[in-house]
Amino acid sequence: MRNHRSDTVAAYLFLLPFLALLAVFFLYATARAVYFSFTDYDLFRPPNWVGWRNYVSLFSDALFMAALRNSILFAAIVTAVQTFLALVMAAVLNQRVRGIGLFRAAFYMPSITSSVVITLIFLWMFQRRGLINYLNESLQRAAPVLLAFLVLVVALQALQVAWERRRSLPAGWADPALLVVSLLVAGAVTWVLVVTGVVGYRDVAPVDFIWLQTRDSIPAGAPFWLSVPIPLAAIMIQNVFTTIPTFMLMYLAALQDVPRSHYEAAAIDGANATQQFFRITIPSVAPVTFLVLTLSMIGTLQMFDQVAVFGDAAPLRSVVTLAYFVYNRMFPGAQTPEVGFAAAGAMFLALLTLVVVLLQRRLVRSEGV
Amino acid sequence: MRRILTFTIAATLIGGALAQQIRIMGYGGQDPAILVRLLDEVIGAELAAEGITLTYEPLEGDYNAALFNALSAGTAADIFYIPVETAPGIIATGKVLALDGLFDTTPFLDSLVEAYTVDGRVYGVAKDFNTLAIHYNLDLFEEAGVPVPNEQDTWQSFAEKLRAVAALDGDVYGACFPAGFDRFGAFAFAAGWSPFDDAGATNLLDPAFVEAVTWYTGLVREGVAIQPSDIGQGWTGGCFATDDVAVAIEGAWILGFLRNEAPNLQFGTTLMPVGPSGERGNFLYTVAYGINTDSPNRDAALRVLAALTGPEAQQWVLEQGLAIPSRAALADNPFFLEGTPEANANAVVFRGAADGRVFGFQFGSVGTDWMTPVNDALVAVMTGQASVDAALAEAQRDLDALLQRAR
Repeated sequence: MRNHRSDTVAAYLFLLPFLALLAVFFLYATARAVYFSFTDYDLFRPPNWVGWRNYVSLFSDALFMAALRNSILFAAIVTAVQTFLALVMAAVLNQRVRGIGLFRAAFYMPSITSSVVITLIFLWMFQRRGLINYLNESLQRAAPVLLAFLVLVVALQALQVAWERRRSLPAGWADPALLVVSLLVAGAVTWVLVVTGVVGYRDVAPVDFIWLQTRDSIPAGAPFWLSVPIPLAAIMIQNVFTTIPTFMLMYLAALQDVPRSHYEAAAIDGANATQQFFRITIPSVAPVTFLVLTLSMIGTLQMFDQVAVFGDAAPLRSVVTLAYFVYNRMFPGAQTPEVGFAAAGAMFLALLTLVVVLLQRRLVRSEGV
Repeated sequence: MRRILTFTIAATLIGGALAQQIRIMGYGGQDPAILVRLLDEVIGAELAAEGITLTYEPLEGDYNAALFNALSAGTAADIFYIPVETAPGIIATGKVLALDGLFDTTPFLDSLVEAYTVDGRVYGVAKDFNTLAIHYNLDLFEEAGVPVPNEQDTWQSFAEKLRAVAALDGDVYGACFPAGFDRFGAFAFAAGWSPFDDAGATNLLDPAFVEAVTWYTGLVREGVAIQPSDIGQGWTGGCFATDDVAVAIEGAWILGFLRNEAPNLQFGTTLMPVGPSGERGNFLYTVAYGINTDSPNRDAALRVLAALTGPEAQQWVLEQGLAIPSRAALADNPFFLEGTPEANANAVVFRGAADGRVFGFQFGSVGTDWMTPVNDALVAVMTGQASVDAALAEAQRDLDALLQRAR
């Protein structure tokens, strides 16, 4: 008995340094923030108790409402898209193909690159004369050529498959050997068509889609709570790009544990790749899906860095999130900090994150397991 | 060597009783290097003889946030920079020492002292200042066959010259116009508009303001001017350094940049064009030194303040081409008449402070947040997403809400 107690004491001793840090930088800081959220504290004058006033005025603040809308849409859309894409990418990278290590490393690159650097690069790509508009324009310009090429590929493939089948040989519509021939021949024919001037590049007006400096949102005319500001959509694209690899890695680890025999059995029963993905892969990795959804939700609800780096490049109201709102009120342009108001915003964000994660835990648990 | 050592020891002994270390907080970037050189070459020995040593602590990143943090935590330096646009907020913290009776501010330019005066008390001594001027690319105007901008130019004649240069080539522009009030405001002032009325309210629907917005954004819509970001640049100076943009509307801070980035660019500098009000408009940008009320070495800090803003230090700063001095007596400085493009640019920037409708780069208690609605409106019009009237109506609503909250 005595031995057991001394074990406990030892455990607490080992935990002490961490607990002390936690107490000072987390518990104490949180308690202070909760207290400040009920005061009019501005860092310089002694705080006065104002009750719920800060919380009430949050909801009459246009910037806060925009931040709330942006955060919720951002979290919902980004989490859904990146979870699905991460799983798909993990499934692809789980194949036993020669050189798969190279692809795994390449696909993981965005996650180990600094988020600030990536944001700066994306800022350039999203400029009015940036890469994205340029690619869009090039695509439109080359549309007739690409279309001709595609039609030729499909036609040639159909022709070859029909020919093989007439000779009673088994040939699927996407038979790789035939496809290679189709692609090569279609490429050559398209080249001849372009050279002879039968099909050519179109003259299109330069694409001038404004990604950043705009207050417009998509879909146009949607109600406030459902419209995504275009600059926020740009951040969503970037965020999905940078976070997918992390979650992909988790899924990859989970997928390695799914027994091959399940897939073999399914194949024998006649299930195709799509059916295998939805009937075997997805249910097998349900626990990891829960983890990924939780981490993604927490991460996206608290997104701050990308908005901060976007800075003046986009109107504040179009990109502000709850975390950035808190910072913005804490350090407003040259005014005395509104600590009480900012703390109220921070408390709201903490509560929202907690509620969302609890809700999602109920939903996913009851479904998945 | 021995003599220097003896001198140092003697200085240390004499100053020993009051050996004091004064900390200064200011911008990062090139400022730390400038202060070290200023100390080494001008004021350091004198201060050391009095037993005062200086350390400079640059606050990188968001200066405003870092300074507020330091002030509230009690870790702010004895002396710190007070940018003019954030001065009302910083002074309102009660952490800046009022200098009345402690420091003589009469030798400094009145408009600069005024920017740091709250309720009749002075809280900062401007270290230097800047205004906007037209810097033009000599080669581009020659190629276009039009005279370079000059002091007689009105908005119309200035725009005509820019049009002629822009017509040279699809990739050549007359000017880079950022969608920001920090540059555009000078044109609004030239149209006869004032940022605040007597009651402290702002009217963006004033015909003078509308006229300025229409002219400024019109040149962008027309393709004569372009936003810096649209040609991959972060600011007007970057545009100018590409050699494809005819003019840059910037202060004397562009000179150091051009020296490094475009040493072969032939340029001249002239005053801002005359607006519809018959006068020029301009901003007064400045940074002051303020003293911390909680400084344990107040007397030494005052002594350092005097040295930093003294005639010798300011002459040095001017001759290094770093900034325009804030002392009125330096107006007739021979340096301005040296005839080099840089000296001329400095002289023009100096004259800009007293020519026409000049306003401090300051927005009362709401600080730089004041500019956000205006900037959003400029962007919306420049990119063709809204008409001038619609954009300004929305900006006025946002601004009213902002000012309402601050009251």
